[in-house]
Amino acid sequence: MNSETEMDNKGQSSPVLVIGAGVAGIEASLLLANAGRKVYLVEKASYTGGNVIKLEEVFPNMECATCMIAPKQQELLQNENIKLLRLSQVEAVSGSLGDFTVKVKQKASYINSENCLGCSECFAPCPVEVDNEFEEGLSKRKAIYVPCAGALPNVPVIDTENCLRFKGQECQACQEACLLEAIDYTQQDEELEIKVGAIIIATGFKSFDPSGISQYGYKKFDNVYSAMEVERLLASNGPTQGQLILRNGEPPKSVAIIHCVGREGKGYCSSVCCMASLKLSHFMKNKLPDIKITQFYSDLCIPGKSYQKFYQEVKERGVEFIRAEVTEVSASGKETAVKYKTDEGKEDTLAVDMVILNPALEPQANSSELAKILNIPQGKDGFFSEKEPDLTSIATAQDGIFIAGCAQSPKDITETVAEAEATVGRILSLSR
Amino acid sequence: MSDNKQGATFPAEGGVREGSLDFIRQALSQGCFDAVLIPAKMPLSDSFAYALIEDESLLKDAYPLCPIMTVQGARVISALTRRGKGKKVLSAWLRPCEVRATVELSKLGQINLENIILISIDCPGVLPLADWAKEPEKTESAFSELVKGIDIEGVRPICQICDKFSATGGEDLHIGTIGMQDSLLLIPNSPKGRSILDNLGLQAAPDISDWQSQVDALTADRKKKREQAHKELESRAKGLDNLLHTFSTCINCHNCMRVCPICYCRQCFFDSDNSKFPFEDYLVRAEAAGGLRLPPETLLFHIGRMLHMSLSCVSCGACEDACPTSIPVAQVFSLVGSKNQKAFDYVPGRSADEPLPLRVYQDREFEEVEQSGARAPAPEET
Amino acid sequence: MAKKIGVYVCECGTNIAEKVDINRVLTAVSPLKDVEVAQRYKLLCSGEGQDYLKQSIEEHNLTHMVVAACSPKQHELTFMNVCEKAGLNPYLFQLVNIREQCAWVTPDGEDATNKAIRQIRAAISRVHYHTALEKKEIECSPDVLVIGGGIAGIKASQLLATPERKAYLVEKTSSLGGKVRSFSKLFTNMESGLRLVEQEVESLQQNENIEVLTESEVEEILGFLGNFEVKVVNKAKDKELKFNVGAVVVATGFELFDPKGLPQYGYGKLDDVYTSLEFEEMSIADGHTKGKILLKNGKPPESVAIIHCVGREEKGYCSKVCCLYSLKFDRMLKSQLPGVKISHFYSDLCLPGKSYQRFYEDTKEIGATFIRSAKTGVTGNEKGLTIDYETEAGSKGNSAADMVILLPAMENSSDAQKFAEMLKIPLDEKNFFVEEHQLLSPVASAVEGVFVIGCARGPQSISESIVQSEAVAGKILSILVPGKKLELEARTSEISESFCTGCKTCIDVCPYGAITFNEARRISVVNQVLCHGCGNCAAACPSGAATLKHFTFPQIYQELAGVLRQECREKNRECNRKLI
Repeated sequence: MNSETEMDNKGQSSPVLVIGAGVAGIEASLLLANAGRKVYLVEKASYTGGNVIKLEEVFPNMECATCMIAPKQQELLQNENIKLLRLSQVEAVSGSLGDFTVKVKQKASYINSENCLGCSECFAPCPVEVDNEFEEGLSKRKAIYVPCAGALPNVPVIDTENCLRFKGQECQACQEACLLEAIDYTQQDEELEIKVGAIIIATGFKSFDPSGISQYGYKKFDNVYSAMEVERLLASNGPTQGQLILRNGEPPKSVAIIHCVGREGKGYCSSVCCMASLKLSHFMKNKLPDIKITQFYSDLCIPGKSYQKFYQEVKERGVEFIRAEVTEVSASGKETAVKYKTDEGKEDTLAVDMVILNPALEPQANSSELAKILNIPQGKDGFFSEKEPDLTSIATAQDGIFIAGCAQSPKDITETVAEAEATVGRILSLSR
Repeated sequence: MSDNKQGATFPAEGGVREGSLDFIRQALSQGCFDAVLIPAKMPLSDSFAYALIEDESLLKDAYPLCPIMTVQGARVISALTRRGKGKKVLSAWLRPCEVRATVELSKLGQINLENIILISIDCPGVLPLADWAKEPEKTESAFSELVKGIDIEGVRPICQICDKFSATGGEDLHIGTIGMQDSLLLIPNSPKGRSILDNLGLQAAPDISDWQSQVDALTADRKKKREQAHKELESRAKGLDNLLHTFSTCINCHNCMRVCPICYCRQCFFDSDNSKFPFEDYLVRAEAAGGLRLPPETLLFHIGRMLHMSLSCVSCGACEDACPTSIPVAQVFSLVGSKNQKAFDYVPGRSADEPLPLRVYQDREFEEVEQSGARAPAPEET
Repeated sequence: MAKKIGVYVCECGTNIAEKVDINRVLTAVSPLKDVEVAQRYKLLCSGEGQDYLKQSIEEHNLTHMVVAACSPKQHELTFMNVCEKAGLNPYLFQLVNIREQCAWVTPDGEDATNKAIRQIRAAISRVHYHTALEKKEIECSPDVLVIGGGIAGIKASQLLATPERKAYLVEKTSSLGGKVRSFSKLFTNMESGLRLVEQEVESLQQNENIEVLTESEVEEILGFLGNFEVKVVNKAKDKELKFNVGAVVVATGFELFDPKGLPQYGYGKLDDVYTSLEFEEMSIADGHTKGKILLKNGKPPESVAIIHCVGREEKGYCSKVCCLYSLKFDRMLKSQLPGVKISHFYSDLCLPGKSYQRFYEDTKEIGATFIRSAKTGVTGNEKGLTIDYETEAGSKGNSAADMVILLPAMENSSDAQKFAEMLKIPLDEKNFFVEEHQLLSPVASAVEGVFVIGCARGPQSISESIVQSEAVAGKILSILVPGKKLELEARTSEISESFCTGCKTCIDVCPYGAITFNEARRISVVNQVLCHGCGNCAAACPSGAATLKHFTFPQIYQELAGVLRQECREKNRECNRKLI
């Protein structure tokens, strides 16, 4: 804290770099911008909103996540103090508190965003179809695309790995379809150098991939899904327009939700999955009131003033809770079977139509690189380390570099937003 | 209803009227209250009105069970306490529906109950105002026969289906008369009520089951009649066409709103400038529909009034008495009111502490509507 | 004065133009009442488009403007700025969305054109009834009041206090530090809570911009964001202090649920049954046992039972940190009494986040038994205490112990109700303060300018409380900038004095506490600073005494009528034939 107060005048009112435009990054950027600070918001993907924008409803009040975040995303795009750099990543950082020099590489989108009005005429003519990562592979997209309906900014991007033209073939289908001359194949990747006074890491999380744990049958059996896949199925702008249907087109009559997938290997509790499982149950019961849901869990993690009430409500709707370890998921025909063993050692099997795995939350794939670039320590689990773990989760060993949200440790949206605001509190209080 | 209720008996050999007036005289002389608000026969006429009586000699004109409802009692109390509580203690002698309306108005800031003692009495109903006006003597004697039993022929249709004719929960003291020969049952329901009994040196006995069981039996019977009447009315009045028919003779006098105790607005929305438009607007509407009934919004006025007050409607029937074209306003409003109140599990007037449902935020409410996925029908479906 | 309305239809590139027949639209709207000019333009939001609009307003001396283009969320502000630059009050303007709400969602071009015409007619009808509104600004005090001198309050004061901004820290006891002061160790680093508090207090006292008022209580707070009038009373010295602040931070902390109400635990009846706070107080160096963990008979315990979730069922929530600090207790016990036997009786282990599971596993290795018990009870006799437990499967068992530590639920402090009323911030059904938005605004309350941090808003750890202190600094430093004026919402609600009957319905439904009741005049009055223009009061008021500027009854009615008139004419709907 002391070195921060000895900051020189250069630090006063200098711009701030925010890495990651998920809910933490958005909140921090808007708060800083409202205080009159300039913000560079660097986002790896083509859209803002991170993981939260993939969810239809969030716990515990079952609010529509898009409705909640969309006004903030919109404000972000219109705020003159915030420069959003999408398709960008931080390549190098030098300097110190008050005076960081940051090199950012911005990949070309090949779309002129001044001209583009988001009319989506360019999608249909594109001959290439690939799995849509945003939809967890449950539907396809074109090589020129926006990840989902309602993505902001509403400006598409060309995926050069799959686009025929960028693989050496002749194709101008999208450009021919665009009436506003918004497609520009000559765009180049850019290297930007920006000077900032402080940095906020808000890179969020990704879901652990359960295909590495064979006992769960993920990617082996058709009716075994990950929680994020189910979130997309339930989303009204998702691959099934919100209909809860299996790959065979039929709605499931019974579901097993398995908690703590990957927890043993990771050695930590991901904090939000119990609540997420409850939310999915609540949501699925709304869609299909007669559906039978069974949850397999080890310890119920529902801390705080409102979560237990939500749990009680879900239980009252007839959702069953079995404290057990799932030893094997197998399938034959339409039926999927969940074999489990309770704490007391009792073994049994439950036959269901659908299995949902709730996997651990882990840091983004490029966290190690980012940690090196920023010269901040990472834990063995890959999360960025805070300087004084018991006193605040947002300050790193480097003065002027802060973390907010799941990049530090798995947590819910409330804590994430509090951390985002906290990083702003630290930064704004630095300038005297 | 009868949990731990106690009541004291008060002699009434001369009948309910004499017994009640005796009670009031004693209470006044013992200083239980400084004055009483009670229906009285007006001098130089056959009519009745609420009178504020401090001098007990004037009680000779008082009619505790008056054959008609002139002004709804709650409106009177509202006029008295709008500007704050009085310094003296007043007891208000009311019918159960008037007590309930009073309690509702106190929640709406229109009545200050601090120095008011609410006294209710088992109510046999009242006669239609129009009938009374035609033949006052004949109807008065019919009424005094009526009061002896609790036979309800001849009382207003809305009174015939009233299931809240006895203690309702909002009163300070209730006078039980049903099945009581030669005496009255004084049942206190609050510290104010209990102190009256104390002042009069009356002991409340714990067993009021005789009276209570008769009240319960009659209530059950009335409930059945009410359901029946509502069902029948619903089939006659439900739907736009039926409603238009029911209110077809409405002359937009707004009398129903004016006499309603719950309608407390200084200026009714439907009398305000907001409901008046330049005549070109009306011409356009007339052109679109081929014609326009004027003044406009006849039916809309009633629906609007239902929206604003039905949750507090106590089925007192003042509106029906006031309608010059005999529209069954009270019955329609009572039907809508009952249904709406049931949806919120709300009984108007049962407790001054029970907040008005539209003002209370509930986290989860009407989930059956929210979750039903109800959507507006596509044009082809209408 | 005669009205002159300018109507401009944006082509939005091809977005609108290729679906809507704009020329037909212009032909339909030009003859409408008071329409002075009706034109089309390629892209109104562009620089040239905005210049074109400005010139047109000035050229035609327009009194009102209607623009038919995209969503107001995108460009309402843009065009309002154009109005201002052209000398036209920005509220005499209406933006019609014929892109997202028409061109983009109507497949047939003719239908889309008809719809666009109706939408624009509606806007023209509405705009006739618009009135000029003025944006107001108020001066504000940048100072802050922090109520509660625990760790959250201390940290918040430190971050907020600067030479241009004073922080007043009011604490009702004689010392700062709150509960943390009594923690000899903190999880997970097992460092001293007392030392942490002492360090923070020292740095606090060196800060001249923080005024610490101990043994003091806040008696009254009146006002609103930017302008709160505070009265603080020092009970010991019988002194009163009045000052103004711009924001108020409530950091009043927690209390423990009293287990006396649950006879099955024997608290208050049996010897050596302690609450966690009592155990903490026993363990501090200057406590009554000088930091030694001892039974009532003066001897150290040989076996300790720790019972989790005491009061959880009654309160209906999990207090989040008890599992963790019970692990801390294990370490404290083992470090003083290496041979002590420790058993935990718990229902679910709450160890969220990257580090706590490891803390649990490491602690278990030091030597503690964990027994999952659905029902736990404590009985005692001269031989000592017995813990009876029952597993979820139903099998019963018992265990002997010398000492029992109960982990009771965390509740809001007994002062909560007082501050809820004083500041008009609601408490939820669990008696914790309610956030402005549970997910997106965790440290703000529904009342602007009033913030709640720490355990007053719900059970949480020290780290989370400190993060919230930093967060509240972020919010306040961003809103209350010294020298900067606060811009107020112009589209606020007003209550007519002549029509208000004082029923207070509006006060009950106002989510911002912006309406107060004037007892003398017996009417409700809207505070124009706090009002956010949500319209709840206007909707709830049965007589129409409460009205919302820019959303008055005539404005909304005319807009609706504008949409429906054409429809009625064209399709001659059955409904009106009934002569309603």
